Amino acid sequence: MIEISKVTKHFGEIQALEEVNLDIATGEFISIVGPSGCGKSTLLRIIADLVSTNGCVTKPEKGAFVFQDSALLPWRTVQKNVELLMELEGVAERKEKAKQALAQVGLTGFEKSYPHQLSGGMKMRLSLARSIVLNPDYLLLDEPLSAVDELTREVLQEEIHEIWKKDNFTSILVTHNVAEAVYLSNRVIVMSPRPGQITHIVDIPFKKRTPDIRSKPEFSNLVNDISGKLRAWK
Amino acid sequence: MEVKKILPPTIILAFFLASWGIGAKIYDMAFLLPGPWLVAQTFKSDFEIIMQGLGITFSAAFTGYLIAIVIGVTVATVMSLSKILERSLYPYAILLQTVPVVAVAPLIVLWFGFEIKSIIIISVIIALFPIINNTLLGLKSTPKTLVELFDLHSDSKFTTFFKLRFPAAIPNIIAGMKISAGLSVIGAIVGEFIIGSGSEGGGLGVQIIYAQANLETALVMALILTATGLGFAFFITVSSIGYHLLHKWHESEQ
Repeated sequence: MIEISKVTKHFGEIQALEEVNLDIATGEFISIVGPSGCGKSTLLRIIADLVSTNGCVTKPEKGAFVFQDSALLPWRTVQKNVELLMELEGVAERKEKAKQALAQVGLTGFEKSYPHQLSGGMKMRLSLARSIVLNPDYLLLDEPLSAVDELTREVLQEEIHEIWKKDNFTSILVTHNVAEAVYLSNRVIVMSPRPGQITHIVDIPFKKRTPDIRSKPEFSNLVNDISGKLRAWK
Repeated sequence: MEVKKILPPTIILAFFLASWGIGAKIYDMAFLLPGPWLVAQTFKSDFEIIMQGLGITFSAAFTGYLIAIVIGVTVATVMSLSKILERSLYPYAILLQTVPVVAVAPLIVLWFGFEIKSIIIISVIIALFPIINNTLLGLKSTPKTLVELFDLHSDSKFTTFFKLRFPAAIPNIIAGMKISAGLSVIGAIVGEFIIGSGSEGGGLGVQIIYAQANLETALVMALILTATGLGFAFFITVSSIGYHLLHKWHESEQ
């Protein structure tokens, strides 16, 4: 369980976040959507403890953060990049675990490649593998798919869903893409423009997530509903 | 290597040598403008003296270069770790660059004697700044998300330095070393100029002064070419080290 209570944030004169309260159940997948600059990335960084706050965040011990630009070390091979966080955390049996994680994201055979030789989608897979290999209690995803093309994006959404279903960590995804949020989440959190605060929480009732739900009317109704809430700000 | 790469600079060289040769023929004053052929012959006739000079200048410049690399990287590292130290030291690092080394050289010779020691010091002073500046730039421009990643998963500043900041700065360090390669030779020659008009044995700079005084212009030119070649050799060596370190991952070497 992750509890966010009375989280506010000022950057100098500018107020980025206005009292955010939110409880996220263990194993739940939530997404945060909102207009640009509404402080949703800041909120994610506050949860990760990368940014300070006056409020209070309680969370399980082990977490990982997936960055927008995949944040790989360019001088390390794919293999060494997957091992990086285990190395920093002093995890044993790194080779074995790295192998499994690479297989899980379909990067087997690329162990000796360097990041610049990978496509955007593969870089993001590598970044995911590096995080899930830690077996985290929660995963924070900061617009991980914003840099990949539309087709790869949908495939990666399905892969993220599969990984989440299998490993069952709590997930918080920040995204601009409403369909992505609806496809992946149990709940979608809608935030207002700066100072950001939670205005709506939309439950996503789907039991099963398979690519075909994208074409169902319930799916597009939810997407339209949330997009409408976001458009109301403009 | 392909002909395409080699041909253009070769044409320039041929053109240069031809106009030099023709110019020397027209003026016909070998003590002012010896032709390329005469300079080439001097290489042969004065081979021993040139090689002796090269050896001395090489050891001074190379020692100075290595010291500049060690001091430069260390100072930049210290500055990158502490804002206060950076603020206190950086202005003096700039002074190191702006001080007219040629003018300070006599003072250094006065303090440290007419010895190779002084030449090395002058070489260090002139080669140091580009290394400090580039290393510092590299150490300070680690991508923000990578720093955040390390903040999340490591609480050791050392780990972050050795596994992230330093490797990320290597392309900049190499860039600084490339600039300083030629400078260290220039520094050594300047040092030798100040030290040595008196004696015959000595580095390339000493011999240039000596040969000039004797109006052996062809020898002066041969010595200049030798010094140029020395700086070039330094540069090529660092470049190939840089290539081996970087070509697998950095765009500058691909």
